[in-house]
Amino acid sequence: MSKGNGRPFRDANALLARADRIRAQRAKLKHEIRICAGPGCLALGARAIHEEFLTQISEHKAELKQAGLALNTTLAEKCTGCHGMCEAGPIVTLEPEGTFYTGVKPRDAKKIVERTLLKGELVDKRLYELGHQRGGGKVEKYADIPFYSLQVRVALRNVGVVDPTSLDDFLAAGGFRGFVRALSEMTPDEVVTAVEDSGLRGRGGAGFPSGRKWRSALRVKEDRVWLICNGDEGDPGAFMDRAIMEGDPYSVLEGMMIAAYALGATDAWLYVRHEYPLAVKHLQMAIDTLENAGLLGDDILGAGMSLRIRISRGGGAFVCGESSALMRSIEGRVGEPRAKYVRSVEKGLYDQPTVLNNVESFTCVPAIIDRGAEWFASMGRDKSRGTKAFSLVGKVKHTGLIEVPMGRTLREIIYDIGGGIIDDRPFKAVQTGGPSGGCLPADKLDLPVDFDTLTRAGAMMGSGGMIVMDDHTCMVDVAKYFIHFLIGESCGKCVPCREGLRQVHDMLEKITSGRGEDGDLEKIERLCHTMEVGSLCALGKSAPYPVTSTIRYFRAEYEAHIRDKMCPAGVCPDLIMYEINKECTGCLICKDHCPTEAISGEKKKLHVIDEDACISCGICMSVCKFDAVDIKSGGVIVSRDEAVV
Amino acid sequence: MNERLYVTPYRCIDCKICEQACSLVKSKRPGVPARPRVQSFNVEGDTDFVLLCLQCDEASCQAVCPVDALVRNPVTGAIEVTDRCIECGFCVVACPFGCMDYDPANNEYIKCDVCYGDPACAKYCPTGALVWAERPLSEAEAEQRSAQRTTDPFSVPAGD
Amino acid sequence: MRKVRPTLDDTARMMSETNETVTITIDGRDVEAPAGAYILDVAGELDIDIPSLCAHPGLEPFGACRLCVVEIQKPGWDDWYRQLVTSCLYPVADGLKVWTNSEEVRRNREVVLDLQLARVPKSDVIGDLAREYGVERTSYAERDTDDTCIMCAICVRACDAVGRSAIATLSRGPDKYVDVPDKDACIGCLVCAHLCPTDAIAFVADDNGKRTIWDKQFDLVTDERTGEVLGTPEYLEHVRQRATDRGLRWPDEMKHESAKVKRRTYSSKLARVGRIEEPAE
Repeated sequence: MSKGNGRPFRDANALLARADRIRAQRAKLKHEIRICAGPGCLALGARAIHEEFLTQISEHKAELKQAGLALNTTLAEKCTGCHGMCEAGPIVTLEPEGTFYTGVKPRDAKKIVERTLLKGELVDKRLYELGHQRGGGKVEKYADIPFYSLQVRVALRNVGVVDPTSLDDFLAAGGFRGFVRALSEMTPDEVVTAVEDSGLRGRGGAGFPSGRKWRSALRVKEDRVWLICNGDEGDPGAFMDRAIMEGDPYSVLEGMMIAAYALGATDAWLYVRHEYPLAVKHLQMAIDTLENAGLLGDDILGAGMSLRIRISRGGGAFVCGESSALMRSIEGRVGEPRAKYVRSVEKGLYDQPTVLNNVESFTCVPAIIDRGAEWFASMGRDKSRGTKAFSLVGKVKHTGLIEVPMGRTLREIIYDIGGGIIDDRPFKAVQTGGPSGGCLPADKLDLPVDFDTLTRAGAMMGSGGMIVMDDHTCMVDVAKYFIHFLIGESCGKCVPCREGLRQVHDMLEKITSGRGEDGDLEKIERLCHTMEVGSLCALGKSAPYPVTSTIRYFRAEYEAHIRDKMCPAGVCPDLIMYEINKECTGCLICKDHCPTEAISGEKKKLHVIDEDACISCGICMSVCKFDAVDIKSGGVIVSRDEAVV
Repeated sequence: MNERLYVTPYRCIDCKICEQACSLVKSKRPGVPARPRVQSFNVEGDTDFVLLCLQCDEASCQAVCPVDALVRNPVTGAIEVTDRCIECGFCVVACPFGCMDYDPANNEYIKCDVCYGDPACAKYCPTGALVWAERPLSEAEAEQRSAQRTTDPFSVPAGD
Repeated sequence: MRKVRPTLDDTARMMSETNETVTITIDGRDVEAPAGAYILDVAGELDIDIPSLCAHPGLEPFGACRLCVVEIQKPGWDDWYRQLVTSCLYPVADGLKVWTNSEEVRRNREVVLDLQLARVPKSDVIGDLAREYGVERTSYAERDTDDTCIMCAICVRACDAVGRSAIATLSRGPDKYVDVPDKDACIGCLVCAHLCPTDAIAFVADDNGKRTIWDKQFDLVTDERTGEVLGTPEYLEHVRQRATDRGLRWPDEMKHESAKVKRRTYSSKLARVGRIEEPAE
């Protein structure tokens, strides 16, 4: 791992010269192996693959040399951040040709070195299978996969491209061009104007225009402004910020440095949650490297600017992603939000004016400065400009990390990029905006994804989590799940959130267990309204969204639970029963697997499930090879796997 | 306003009218007299003495108060207990003169606040030992006041 | 003579360095208020009743009980648009319109009290307040408990103010509770118990010279002459420490005495030292 040249850069020219030198060196590369070391691929053994590549390269040293490939001059290998398509991991790509290998195992390293590097052949088995998209078949290059070709990467521009531990790599990828431009060609005011003109809105959830925030911080007449980068990404199923911090820490820091220059901040905090140890490690390495390189500390690049960036680790409280709770947490107090009638830019951390932005927002800033506000503003729609990263998860074929311009429709994201629903089942809903976001039904699929449209539809952009659900999802159960999550994460300071969530959960529990009564829905709605208008912080105010949005779009499903005591999706255990139909061949498998011995039957004879002994665990259904087990709810068969094609 | 509460000890006859006046004026509920903020003593048999808060420049009570509930009124110069009081009682422990006290009848911490510039104790003091004025009473004035109070105990001196 | 009370003016002075005043409209009344003062304090001065359980003038505003919410409209907003805000935290500004008892405000308070009643069914304070807003019985699932704590955190903030920070909220969400994690930090001053709006903190002030609170037992120091209880030794030591930290003279031999005894001692000293005699004429 190379870490700069060890000597601090005297000025901006020295930095740019070094970047040019590295780029010239890199131009000689014939092959570059990029091993994805994102969280998903790491879990699948990316480190072992990396080791194996190193071993294979040294074992084949002579042959590689004959082919004109020598490590570090014409051949390079590195671990990068997340490539995005986590479902296909571990991923290895070969540059510059763009060959894309998925599901790579350590033993494949030998094949890739021997066949692809030495003979120029492809390892067919590890190529990506397109499925039904574009006629199916194997794809050689990632540029040909819709998942990648339809994306526009701004915040994720270097994630999966650079080695997160190498400053040289970052410089070669155009790093610090934005910072150098800001420092040497622009006044702080011009930087703020550029951010204003770009239309960048906070990527953390609320979507407050970053430029306006910076401008109001400039207007505050105090000696110092403090800067915070919010890396406390707590939404279940969201990992955009994690990917950026782990895969491209220098961009985050560069964005903060530009902001510090614009706002005159000399101290900055990076608040990263404790659950992201790799992000903390990479960021700390990057900070140390930059300090040694004279890019952080006093008199940065000889331009008289000084900046210290500290990492503050969160204890894993979801509510600490809320800016005022985050500031209290940095101060060392209990992470509870306060009312923000006095804005943070006037009184934030330690009662000093504080500018807080999200990781993704900061990461967009260098690109805006480097490529111009017009370029950024040219993407997007209405008042939402630029691009947005999403983590696409749930019942979608290609789960992973994507970035698209604002204004793409949900359909494009889910069907074109995501490849549609697993097993081609019908789409039921998509949950956007994390646990306190809302669920949107199929008829909202053509909604453009931007801040205002989503909010109007009862969901929200949030930090960019997107959970896709198919027809096997019970919306009441989903609402209950998110409320349960929020109960665990509510700070418990104010009454509507603390007590309200408990009561909403109780009532949802009642409904899903078949004890719902008429009037329950109205009671929930009334309570949700109070939570929405009467809670102290944004967490409480948005906590009822999963419930209100599902009631708004799936009211019939709630009513079926309450009136007919039936779960149309066949999910709620108390409302469903399993029944064996005529397809049963009497194979005894379900009988053997049933944990409560509720199934009786003999070989080659129709089996029967004893309703009283059945605990609705569904094991019989999943082990049955003949689709002979049905879910019945309210006397109707609600789920039969082959029934839906 | 340059009035101060002047105490002239030798005029005190330990009649305790000041205590009664204070107690009644500060009473919050009918029939429940408050604990008086002022106290008169008969010390060592023959000296009578009236003691009330000295409104110290550097007051201990103010210094130890954790919530800045004791605030000096800029007009009267007296330190007053405001509604910020959290009833910790630090001031009572800290005051070296015993002039901070707790009133169990009204469940509050009390001290002399010179009745916001109209002290009842001085108003009803029959001898002029306590007087709310810009200077202590002269002997003649004091005598005149005592004479008037002897004939009409509840009269209030002109100007007060 | 005008009574000069250091209430609102003083709050405002603490809030803002300037003496600026602003004009706002509360329930149709145009009033002048110091810039930066909170709506709750301004309303209190005007004898407009806004219910509140977690606000105490001496403690940092908190905004947890959600009873003091009021509706506001800022100048420039559409006429129909109003917003619910926490009056104990919302600083007044010029042209602000406030409704302290509108339908939306009452509805919000009603639901909040309904929720509180479900939390602490045995609390009379909450019961009475809920009845004022038409809630006789809670419509939600009642907790089966004698506990009356409503998590207003007045005790926590008071203990911070007192300088001990013994009390803390533990856990989070609906399971959050108040306790004293470090029993050594408690000095038995009883401030928390006295301030608790729902009397949720159990204590015995004086039982045969012993005081019990937060499951900790304290000795009591009494005045030698009057027998009055002066507090726990920890409490007196804390005040002594606080006083010396603030540069007050506190002789080591200084005895702990009741106010009455201190006054008597002081007057007798003065009587002896001060040569209190009639002037020779």
